[in-house]
Amino acid sequence: MRGVSERAADAKPGIWGRPGTWAGSIFASFALIAGLRMSDAIDATTGFILMVLAMVQLVPMVKAAVARQRAQGYVSPAIERYNKRFLFASFGYVLGLGLAVTINDRVELGQGETVLIALLPIIPIFAMIWTMARYIVEEQDEFLRHRAIMASLFGLGAVLALGTFWGFLETFEVVPHIWAWWVFPVWAIGMGLAQCWLSFRNRMGAEE
Amino acid sequence: MNNRLRVLRAERKWSQQDLAERLEVSRQSVNAIETGRYDPSLPLAFKIAEVFDLAIEEIFLRD
Repeated sequence: MRGVSERAADAKPGIWGRPGTWAGSIFASFALIAGLRMSDAIDATTGFILMVLAMVQLVPMVKAAVARQRAQGYVSPAIERYNKRFLFASFGYVLGLGLAVTINDRVELGQGETVLIALLPIIPIFAMIWTMARYIVEEQDEFLRHRAIMASLFGLGAVLALGTFWGFLETFEVVPHIWAWWVFPVWAIGMGLAQCWLSFRNRMGAEE
Repeated sequence: MNNRLRVLRAERKWSQQDLAERLEVSRQSVNAIETGRYDPSLPLAFKIAEVFDLAIEEIFLRD
């Protein structure tokens, strides 16, 4: 017997109701902005404003993800808290990074002041890491918690493998230097890909 | 570990969602346990046994 919530889950949302659409749009926006900056088509201030606008797309993405969970009849309170905290930290990061780059470009700073300015994007990143850790602690559904841990480990494996690979190539001067802050996005992308794969594999066995 | 979750659920005409609501877990959890991709913890196994009014060993079987 199929419940109302299952029939609702079967009703496919429109293209703008899918979290994947917004995630793709955010990545495409970032790539476009990065391309425009690298080709000097836009200045740093315009790039910063466009980045903030691109980040606004996180709001409909999160809303679409929560709507999908509701349609499936289960919204984890831990995921709701995670979404709110992550959104807050993401906006803090864009704001902090924009301010830090702008101040660093326009004001002559001493070493101590530069460290303080660098903290502006660092603290929101720490908040994101804390948010992910809290999700694992707070998630009551043991399978979802297990899946999040496995995805985190996959992300960690990706960082270790890519970091070691690139590091040795860099030592032997085959590739250019990469700043160490790349570890967080690489870990997060690895985790996101693993979550997508695990979620897809789980949906494959779900009853119709 | 094998289990008889799908059969027991079918006997009661429960959907995965119905069982998930009784167990207070997500539908993904029920699906993962049913398909053998995830073995539940002992507390959840006890809860499943309670919902079906059976002993754990009547639901979960060794390979």
